[in-house]
Amino acid sequence: MERSNLIRTMEGILGEPGVIHEREQLRTYECDGLMNYRVIPDLVVLPETAEQVQSIVKVCYEEGIPFVARGSGTGLSGGALPVESGLLIVMSRMRRIIEVDLENLRMVVEPGVINLWVTNEVAPEGYYYAPDPASQSVSSIGGNLAENSGGVHCLKYGFTTNHVMGAEIVLADGTMVNVGGGKAPDAPGYELLGAFVGSEGTLGIATKITLRLMRKPESVRTLLAAFEDTEEAGGAVSGIIGAGIIPAAIEMMDRLTLEAVEKTVKPGFPDANAVLIVELDGPEDEVASQFDKVEKICEDSKASEIRIAESDDQRALFWKGRKAAFGAMGSVANDYYVQDAVVPRTELGAVLKKIDNLSEEYGLRVANVFHAGDGNLHPLVLYDNDVEGEAKRAEDLAGAIVFACLDHGGSLTGEHGIGEDKKKYMPKMFTDEDMDTMQLLRCAFDPHHLCNPGKIFPTPRLCGERPGPFKMHPLQKAGLVEQF
Amino acid sequence: METKKVDTHGLQNIVGDENIREATEDDAIDGIRPSLVVEPGSAEETSEVLKFARSEGLAVSPRGGGTKMGWGNPPRAADIVLSLSRMNEVIEHVPGDQVVRVRAGAKLSYVQQTLFRENQMIALDPPYPDATVGGVIASNDSGPRRYKYNTVRDLIIGTTVVLADGTIAKSGGKVVKNVAGYDFGKLFAGSLGTLGVIVEANFRLHPLPESARTVAVEVGSYEAAQGAAHAVVHSQVEPTAVELHWDGDKKLVSVLLESIPEGVEAKEELAHVLLKPFGEVRTLNDDEYDDLGPVPRPSGGNGEVAVKLSAPPAELASTMEIVLGAAERRGVKARLRGHAATAIVFAGLSGGEGSIAEVVEEAREIMVRRGGSVVVREAPESFKTKVDAWGPAGDHLALSRALKDKFDAAGTLNPGRFIGGI
Amino acid sequence: MSDDKPNVPNGSGNTGQPDDIFETVRQANVDEVGEEGTKTAVEPPKSPTKEGKTSFPAFDAHHPPDKDLINDCVHCGFCLPTCPTYVLFGEEMDSPRGRIYLMNKGLTEEPMNEQMTRHFDLCLGCMACVTSCPSGVQYDKLIEATRSQVERRYERSPEDKAFREMIFQLFPYPNRLRAAAAPMRFYKKFDIGGKLRKSGIMGRMPKRIQAMEALLPDLPKEEKIPEITPPKGEKRYRVGILTGCVQRVFFSKVNAATARVLAAEGCEVVAPKQGCCGALSTHAGREDESMSFAKQTIDTFENLDLDYVIINSAGCGSTMKEYGHILRDEPEYAERAKRFSEKVRDVSEFLQEVGTVAERHPLPTTVAYHDACHLAHAQGIRAQPRKTLTDIPGMEVMEIKEPEVCCGSAGIFNMVEPDTAGQLGERKAKNVAATGAKMIVTSNPGCTLQIQGSLKKMGYGEMPARHPMEVVDASIRGESVESLFE
Repeated sequence: MERSNLIRTMEGILGEPGVIHEREQLRTYECDGLMNYRVIPDLVVLPETAEQVQSIVKVCYEEGIPFVARGSGTGLSGGALPVESGLLIVMSRMRRIIEVDLENLRMVVEPGVINLWVTNEVAPEGYYYAPDPASQSVSSIGGNLAENSGGVHCLKYGFTTNHVMGAEIVLADGTMVNVGGGKAPDAPGYELLGAFVGSEGTLGIATKITLRLMRKPESVRTLLAAFEDTEEAGGAVSGIIGAGIIPAAIEMMDRLTLEAVEKTVKPGFPDANAVLIVELDGPEDEVASQFDKVEKICEDSKASEIRIAESDDQRALFWKGRKAAFGAMGSVANDYYVQDAVVPRTELGAVLKKIDNLSEEYGLRVANVFHAGDGNLHPLVLYDNDVEGEAKRAEDLAGAIVFACLDHGGSLTGEHGIGEDKKKYMPKMFTDEDMDTMQLLRCAFDPHHLCNPGKIFPTPRLCGERPGPFKMHPLQKAGLVEQF
Repeated sequence: METKKVDTHGLQNIVGDENIREATEDDAIDGIRPSLVVEPGSAEETSEVLKFARSEGLAVSPRGGGTKMGWGNPPRAADIVLSLSRMNEVIEHVPGDQVVRVRAGAKLSYVQQTLFRENQMIALDPPYPDATVGGVIASNDSGPRRYKYNTVRDLIIGTTVVLADGTIAKSGGKVVKNVAGYDFGKLFAGSLGTLGVIVEANFRLHPLPESARTVAVEVGSYEAAQGAAHAVVHSQVEPTAVELHWDGDKKLVSVLLESIPEGVEAKEELAHVLLKPFGEVRTLNDDEYDDLGPVPRPSGGNGEVAVKLSAPPAELASTMEIVLGAAERRGVKARLRGHAATAIVFAGLSGGEGSIAEVVEEAREIMVRRGGSVVVREAPESFKTKVDAWGPAGDHLALSRALKDKFDAAGTLNPGRFIGGI
Repeated sequence: MSDDKPNVPNGSGNTGQPDDIFETVRQANVDEVGEEGTKTAVEPPKSPTKEGKTSFPAFDAHHPPDKDLINDCVHCGFCLPTCPTYVLFGEEMDSPRGRIYLMNKGLTEEPMNEQMTRHFDLCLGCMACVTSCPSGVQYDKLIEATRSQVERRYERSPEDKAFREMIFQLFPYPNRLRAAAAPMRFYKKFDIGGKLRKSGIMGRMPKRIQAMEALLPDLPKEEKIPEITPPKGEKRYRVGILTGCVQRVFFSKVNAATARVLAAEGCEVVAPKQGCCGALSTHAGREDESMSFAKQTIDTFENLDLDYVIINSAGCGSTMKEYGHILRDEPEYAERAKRFSEKVRDVSEFLQEVGTVAERHPLPTTVAYHDACHLAHAQGIRAQPRKTLTDIPGMEVMEIKEPEVCCGSAGIFNMVEPDTAGQLGERKAKNVAATGAKMIVTSNPGCTLQIQGSLKKMGYGEMPARHPMEVVDASIRGESVESLFE
């Protein structure tokens, strides 16, 4: 379909304000939270209802136009990177809270609702929504769903997929399905919802999501412990887990991160080489007793300083220091590359040593901040884009770190997703058979390969014959695709 | 239904003579008797068996402990029972990472014993002691502890499956936090062996609770039962399980409280206070607890039809009303056992088959309208031909069929047992 | 809307209790479209005037938005939920992240055309994004540089140019402003505005004129302050005071109260003959004008042997603290400007810094304190005004929901973008009214005008708006609570 025709069609569905087609404006959408990849979308559309989403997708289906869905555009793996000659469907205007059902501990929201709004809505009644990625003040629920976002409270409470009960999804052919039940548990049939969450927008677009709420715990206690090095801090972590305690959160930051954070956010953390933040929550007596144990374990692990948050404000300050870590990197380096990888917790010490060695080998500094409890690392590779070759070296170093994690039994990504950024690494973790089997799932949902094509898998496959006159898929045209 | 005669020669070459035997009456699935029972010893052997079956146009039914072969609708065909019992090892247990890797044919109870030694557990307590890990996943079975720890889909972190065309594929890994690739662990949960055969699974573990107490309240009415459950759920008690027992004179809601010793006492106290308005409350001693649970829940046998009703938590009372009311009106005896806080009720119905069928249909019609479901678990063959096990499929049936089509185009695995005739 | 929602912690930049957003937006749409729930977002208003000429690339070499500052932005998006225009329109281009992106492209790749200019014009300059940015991006410097470039390199349409010129020929010149406002007395006395509205003529006037009309306060008699006000008791400091432009004409009693309070606290208060500090010009990117006013102000105050220069208007104080940056290219003034800025204090900031000595008499009442953007976001002053109020016995200070969100005044924004400003004003007025306080207190005449206007539009016209110094003055002088309501 000719572009001006497409614009008219979309304006017909959404009205003029819902369609962006001027070049400079399109450019502001050419990347999400990851600036390393940029593609100018052909057109940006902002639907406001599920029906509009359906109409948009139907047009794409009929015309063979690939499309990508985007929430707040804060993803770190390029999952919302537009596709060449494709549509970008921005969900930020679908942001109503549709239903709050405290009796059944559920809330129904549109995908553009910001993560933090969910908790804010029910906090006065003493409830909250557990998944809290660091971006929660800006990332959308739809985006959280696509990436199966985690956060600092994953070890105890799980991820987005453990807190979603149902979703209304628009499939790539424009039909709408309801998966997961949403009201009652154990809906008979395949676990389509479970397959959908974390599928990085490649299986469809969610237009309505049912979230699980939880009762706010009675008591929350947080402490901050400073250590001589990350190994000692790691010892404390092992001790805590070994004692049968599952903390609500347990985070570690190394020296470089602490420096950066002190420059920007100024939380006043102790001057140390490694800092551990441990948070316990639950019924008061249980927490009080476990907290004493945790304090003792930190002492036994030779913590040089232990600070206990005495008030909500103090706790908020501890967490502000942690959650601002990525952004704060701008103060100690011109550019940085945030990596996301996971290793089994027992391998953390070894992997951190490896990272140190790699950092020396590549001649670039690496700041480490991570979810110590579940082994999810975020090495921040610092570099200067203006120095020739440094950007490439940084990317290579980040890759080497991921491979080291894989060598130690870990995974390519703990929470940021594969997206565009890591698909080249997929063969290191999965065999061709593994990936082909995964693509079977994709073919079932999106046989014409229009929904966020080119993400996750390094070699996308088209699934079977397409009805109607032969139209070359844009990816086929680009020679990037094989027939399945 | 004619079961095909199977040429055992090809299979002998794959698994060895000693691992094939002729099927007996005991191996029948809803009255359909397969030819053979085959027991591969590895994923590769499993793959070859399936390839063989596909090329011969045979239907295969995977089996673990055989505890749930009666679930779902009667299969359109069943030629080979593929038993996983030889693949029963615990591959790796890393207590420091709280992860275990097991072969799917291992009995869950056996795995738990291994884990208990390190004070850890897979937080699943489904009722069948002989169930295998693979079977628990494929049937998405669960027990009372699901209230606190959720179900299989939330505990599984990696799988290896063998597809009908012999492809061996893994997903996930052995780390708790992992979003690389699609999540097959979840997709296969509850798929009842229709998408592939699970041969390996990795689970995240939890520490064994140090101390436990059960507080029970005698409830006289459906509302009291719901009220008791609600009070406990929306409080700071954080129970591990909240169970409903409704069988003749026994009408209780029991609350399992687990924690460190210092925490359990406080929980017990609070539970007493919260439950008092709903009836007489007492803490159960060990004998009483054993008498009470965690099983039995109605599981069929002797003509009893076991049904699972699922509703939103705030509708426990009305769910009880629906099924017990319908049963009474038709002279059907009903006993209930359920997860009160999540409003999942297991009903054991006894009486005339036709009447039971009517009860199920009536309950199903109402429950589905309210966003819930009624699934027939165990029932005599004759009953199965009257009433669909699953109920209506919802608007995702086309998508589900497409999924089955991709994973098992030839319909080799458990054809006809799943929802929508899949 | 429940009143007991949790307070948003200061500096978190989190805004948006969702039902408020939707309430406001839905209401705005109902008004506009007449049907419930037709839309869930507001359309960004089209440029009220016709298109101007474009230039390529967008920026030239004279003080373009600084590439280094632009590079500080890591595209994380934390600024989005705090930006009033993103909250209203939901589009990337009208968010700080998007605007920085446009600035970046404008350096070499994209032209300055109507679209780009529109998005820069729609930025309120409230700097809520500066507060919420975890990377410390100095967006304020970026938008100021950008606006200067826009003013120089974008040919605005004749109507747009004329309207803006009119504002800047009027507002920075107190005498002209007074002269223009004088007929207002009769206008208000004979309710000419009401007659114009009833007859429907008002509705047919250009939106911008309507907006100005709605903003106009009742013009009081001028309360002049002497050139020197002696301190009460022992002299602690010698301070200068900026009398301002809008403040001087419409809120002269605030200046009088400020002088009295400072005197009561032992200050010798010097109020020389003075002009405009250049805030409106600075925030609008009118570079030459801004520098000229800055120099003039420095000339006025610097040789008066002052310990501090006290400002009672948030917008002015923020600009005067920036003089070093504004005059960085002027060798004759650069150093002087830096030293001058070091002496500048907001009056609440000053009182808390040096400590108060005058007795505060009780004023038992509840007030809602509104954070002016140029005080909270630009200067980081949030605690001091609150403390200044709670130091008064019996005074209860209520927090307004969504304190981080701009009221819509934003310099001349509410005059050039009346639609958007109107929505923000309504939202703020609703939140203010919801506190249940008896009066609203804020440290900026622009905010006072905007919020008063919005309150009146929504039917809460009885709620007075006061400056913290008016309240403190009443307390020191032992006045009754009622006196504040006259």
